[in-house]
Amino acid sequence: MNAWTDAIVVLVALTNLALLGSSRLSVCIRVVAIQGIFFGLAAVLLRAEPLTMDLGLVALASVVMKGIVFPALLLRTARNVNIRREVEPFVGFTTSLFIGLGLLGIALWIGSQLPSAANPTGSLVIPLALFTVMVGLFTIASRKKAISQVLGYLTMENGIFAFGVTVVGGIPVLVELGVLMDVFVAVFVMCIATWHISREFDHIDVDQLNALKG
Amino acid sequence: MAVESLISVVLALVLAPLFLGVINRVKAIFAGRTGQPLLQTYYDLAKLLRKGAVYSRTTTWVFRAGPTVALAATLAALVVMPLGGTPALVSFPGDLVLFAYLLGLGRFFTVVAALDTGSSFEGMGASREVQFAAVAEPALLLGLAALAVRTHSLSLSGIFAGPAGSVTLQAWIQMGPIVLLVGGAFLIVFLAENARIPVDDPNTHLELTMIHEVMVLDHSGPDFAFIQYGGALKHWVLGALVVGCLLPVHPASALWAPAVSVAEMLTLAVVVGIIESVMARLRLVSVPHLLAGALTLSVVALVLVIY
Amino acid sequence: MDAGLLIWFQVVVPVLVGAACLLMQSPRTVLASVAGGSVVMAASAAGAAWAVHALGPIHAVGEWFLLDALSAYHLVLLEIVFCLSSFYAWRYFGHEQEAGHFDLRIARRFGALWFGAAASMTLVLVSNNLGILWVSVEATTLLTAFLICLHVTPSSLEAMWKYLIMCSVGVAFAFIGTLLVGASAGPARLSGSDALLWTRLSAAAGNLDPTLLKMGFIFLLVGYGTKAGLAPMHGWLPDAHSQAPAPVSAVFSGFLLNSALYCIMRYVPIVESGTGHVGWALDILTVFGLVSILIAAGFIVFQRDAKRLLAYSSVEHMGIIALGLGLGGFGTFAAMFHAANHSICKSVGFFSAGRLGQMYGTHDITKMKGVLRTAPVWGGGFFVSLLALIGVAPFAIFMSEFQILRTALDTGSIVALVLFLAGTSIVFVGALRHAVSVAWEPPDVHIEPEHAGVLDYVLVVLPLAALLALGLYLPDFVSGTFAQAARVIGGAP
Repeated sequence: MNAWTDAIVVLVALTNLALLGSSRLSVCIRVVAIQGIFFGLAAVLLRAEPLTMDLGLVALASVVMKGIVFPALLLRTARNVNIRREVEPFVGFTTSLFIGLGLLGIALWIGSQLPSAANPTGSLVIPLALFTVMVGLFTIASRKKAISQVLGYLTMENGIFAFGVTVVGGIPVLVELGVLMDVFVAVFVMCIATWHISREFDHIDVDQLNALKG
Repeated sequence: MAVESLISVVLALVLAPLFLGVINRVKAIFAGRTGQPLLQTYYDLAKLLRKGAVYSRTTTWVFRAGPTVALAATLAALVVMPLGGTPALVSFPGDLVLFAYLLGLGRFFTVVAALDTGSSFEGMGASREVQFAAVAEPALLLGLAALAVRTHSLSLSGIFAGPAGSVTLQAWIQMGPIVLLVGGAFLIVFLAENARIPVDDPNTHLELTMIHEVMVLDHSGPDFAFIQYGGALKHWVLGALVVGCLLPVHPASALWAPAVSVAEMLTLAVVVGIIESVMARLRLVSVPHLLAGALTLSVVALVLVIY
Repeated sequence: MDAGLLIWFQVVVPVLVGAACLLMQSPRTVLASVAGGSVVMAASAAGAAWAVHALGPIHAVGEWFLLDALSAYHLVLLEIVFCLSSFYAWRYFGHEQEAGHFDLRIARRFGALWFGAAASMTLVLVSNNLGILWVSVEATTLLTAFLICLHVTPSSLEAMWKYLIMCSVGVAFAFIGTLLVGASAGPARLSGSDALLWTRLSAAAGNLDPTLLKMGFIFLLVGYGTKAGLAPMHGWLPDAHSQAPAPVSAVFSGFLLNSALYCIMRYVPIVESGTGHVGWALDILTVFGLVSILIAAGFIVFQRDAKRLLAYSSVEHMGIIALGLGLGGFGTFAAMFHAANHSICKSVGFFSAGRLGQMYGTHDITKMKGVLRTAPVWGGGFFVSLLALIGVAPFAIFMSEFQILRTALDTGSIVALVLFLAGTSIVFVGALRHAVSVAWEPPDVHIEPEHAGVLDYVLVVLPLAALLALGLYLPDFVSGTFAQAARVIGGAP
C-alpha cells in the first residue's frame, strides 16, 4: 500500500471515531465535512486510470458540496434551533467509541471476505467505506437529536459514495451528480424539517416524537 | 555500545529535574512572568534531602516503602528505555511488557501508600488515579503492541533503536500513519501519567481538582524528595517513549547521540509547556473520554498493522 | 415523430404544471390546475401506452430511458390513481378551504409538490439506467415528505421525520445494492455506463458474478422494500399514511408503494438468471411477502384509526403482491392484476376515510359510526372498499388473491399457502368487524349529513364498479396487458 492510501484510510477511520466520540455538534458537523472531502479526494487519487475532466468535475462537486455547503447548512440549522451538544444519547460516548472499534474490526473482516472481483487492488478503501456506512447507521440509531441523525445519514452517503467509486469502475458522471444533488436536497429537506420540529416541539429530541403508536 | 547506553542513563539521572524546570519556564513565558529559575527542582530536592521526615501514627511500613519502591521502579524502567537511537542498558525480548509493569508497580505503591494514611482525602486521589490508569494502561500496552508487530521486535530497544525495520526517520515514511497514531496515544498517556494539564494540574491544591498531588500530600523530607525525583524521572522515561515515536532523529555518528537525545527531550519539554499553557484542565468526567480517545488511537494503529 | 418524445412529454408536463402552480393566485385555481394537469398527463400516458402496445419498447436519450410493457402498465396505473386523487383533491381541499384551513401558501406548496412527486414517480418508471432509477426514488421520498406535513402539526411532523429518515436510509441501502449489481457486471465485460443499464444487464444476466448479485439483491430488497412497506421495514408506513391529507395518502398507497415494488421487480429477472434460475431471489421475496401479510394482519385486528387501518392493509397487500411475484409463473400475472386492483380500491378507501374524517372531525373508528345513514355515498364507499380489500367475492381483489392461491397450490408451496390463508382470514375477520361497526351502529353525536355532488358519486361508484366488473369478467385486452407486463420479468401466465 502506498503512503497516500494509508494516510487517507487512517484519517477516515479517525473521523468516524471522532463522530462517535464527540458530543459537540459543531465538531461532529466539521468532522463529517472533512470526511466528505477526504473521500472525494480519494476517489480521484485512487483511480487506476488517469484523471479525466468528468472525474475531476465529480470530485470537485463533491468536495465543494460536502466540504462547504453541507456543513454551512447544518451549522446554520444548529444555530437556529439553538442546539450545541448531543446530551445523553442512547449509547454513551465512550461506549460508542468502543463499539466503533468493534465495527472497524467487522468491516475489515467483511472486506477480506469479499470476492476478489469486487476488490482487485486489495486496498483498504472498501472496508473503510463499509466501516463508514456502519458508523452512519449506528449514529442514526443511537442518537437523539435530529441533527445527529442527519449527520449519520451524511456519513452513510459518504461511505456509499466511496464504495461506489472503488467497486464500480465507471459510474456515469450524470448519475454521480444526480446522487450528489439528491443528497443535497435530502440534507436541505431534513434541515427544514428540523427547524419545523424545533418550532413545534421546542426541542429536537426525536425519541420524544412517539405519540403515534400501534 | 554499552558506553553510550550508560551515558544516556547518566544524562537522564542528571537532567530529569531540568526537564521539569524547562516546562515551568515555558509556562512562565506564556504567562508573561519571569518564573522559577531553571534549576529550581534541584534546589528543592537538596532542601528536602536536608530535612527530616514526619510520619503519621496511622501509617505502616507501606507508607515508608511507597516512595522508595516507586523511585526504584522508575529507575528500573529508565534502564530498559532506549533514547536517541542508542539501545537501552538492559534489553531482551519482552522488555516492553516489563516496562509497562514497572510503571504499574510504581503506581501501585504510590496508591497503596496513599490509602495507608487512612485519610479519605488521599483515598479520593487514589481512586481517581486508578480509574484513569485503567484506561491509560491499555492504551500504552496496545500502542507498544502495534509497534512491536510492525517492527517485528518484542524489545523496546529493538523497536526504537534497532538496526533495520525500527522507527527511524526513513522508516517513518513507510509506516508514518501508524507511528503518528501511536505517538499521539503515547503523548496523551504521557500527559495522564505525569499529571499534566489537561488531565491534572500539578500546581493545584484544591480538593475538587487534585489527582496526583493529593496522593503524595502526606510525605515529607527525603520521602518527598524521592517522589519529586521519581516524578521527574517518569517524565523523562515516558518522554523518551514519545520522542522515540514522534522525533526519531538518530545521528549517524555515536558521538553526537547524547547531545541529540538531550535536545529531543528538551524539545518535548517545550512542547509540553506549550500544551499546558494553551489548554485548560478537563472536567474530571471528561478525562476518561480523552483516555478512551488515546486507547482508540492505539487500537486503530494495531488493527491497521494487523491488516 | 420520434416515439421517445412521448417519454419526454410525460416527464416534463408535471414539472411545468407544478412550477405554474407556484404562480397561481387563488387556491381554487391551484386545485383546478391540479385536476386539469392530471387529465393531460393521463391522456399522454394513454398515448404512450398505446405506442408501446403497437411498436414495442420505446427508448429515449440513447438507452437511458425505456418504456416497455411493464413500465407502460405501471404508468397507466399511476395516471389512473393520480387522476382520481387530483379530482378528489378538488373536493377535499375545497371543503378545507371553506373551513378556512387551506390558504394560498399551502395550496401553492401542495400543487408544486404534488406534480413534483408525479414527475419523479414517472421518472422512476421510465428509467433504464439503474442509477437514475435510484435518484428518482430518493427524489420521490424528498418531494413527498412535505406533502405529509402539509398542515404542520406535531403528529404530522413526527410522521414526516420517521418517513424521511427511514426511507432515506432504506434507499441508501438500495444504492449499495445497485452498486453491487453494477459491480457484478465485471465478468460480463460491460463497461462503466453500460453496467447500470437494465436492458444490457438482463441481456448479459447469465454472465454476471452470482455472489455479488446475491449480496446486491439482499441490499436492494431491504432498501426498496423499506420504501414499498414490506415488513419488517414498514414502521414509517402507518404514521405517514394516516397523518397525510387523504389525497396524498391515496397516492402513497395507490402508487408510491407500487413504484418501489416495481424497482424490485426490475431486478428479479437479472438475479434469477445470474444465479441459475434456482428460485433464490423468488424464495426470499416470498418470505418477505408472507411476513408482511402476517404482521399487517396482527395490527389490523387491534386498529382504532381508520386511515391507519387502511395503511396496514396496504402493507398486507404489498405482501400479497410480493408473494405473487415470489411464486413466479402464473403468480406474476396475478401480482400484476392485484397491483391494479389494490391501487384502485385503496384510493377509494382513502377518499372515503378522508371525507368521513372531515365530516366527523376524527378518524377514530369508535367515533365514526352510522356512516351509511349520515353519508350514504362516502360511507358506502368506505364500507364497500373495505369489503373489497379484505377479499370479498366477486370483487377483483378476491379474484387475484384466488389466482395466487391457485399458483401456490400448483407449485406445491404448501407452507406459503397455509400462511397466506391464515393471514388473510385474520384480516377478514378483524377488518369486517371494524367495517360493520362503522357502517351500521347508530352515531353518538349528530353529524351534518353530507351533500354529495356528482363528482363524489363518480369518484366512489366508478372505481368500485370497475372492480366488480373486473372480478366478474376479465377482458382479453386487460389480461393481455398483465401477461405482457409479467413476461418482461420472467413470469408466464
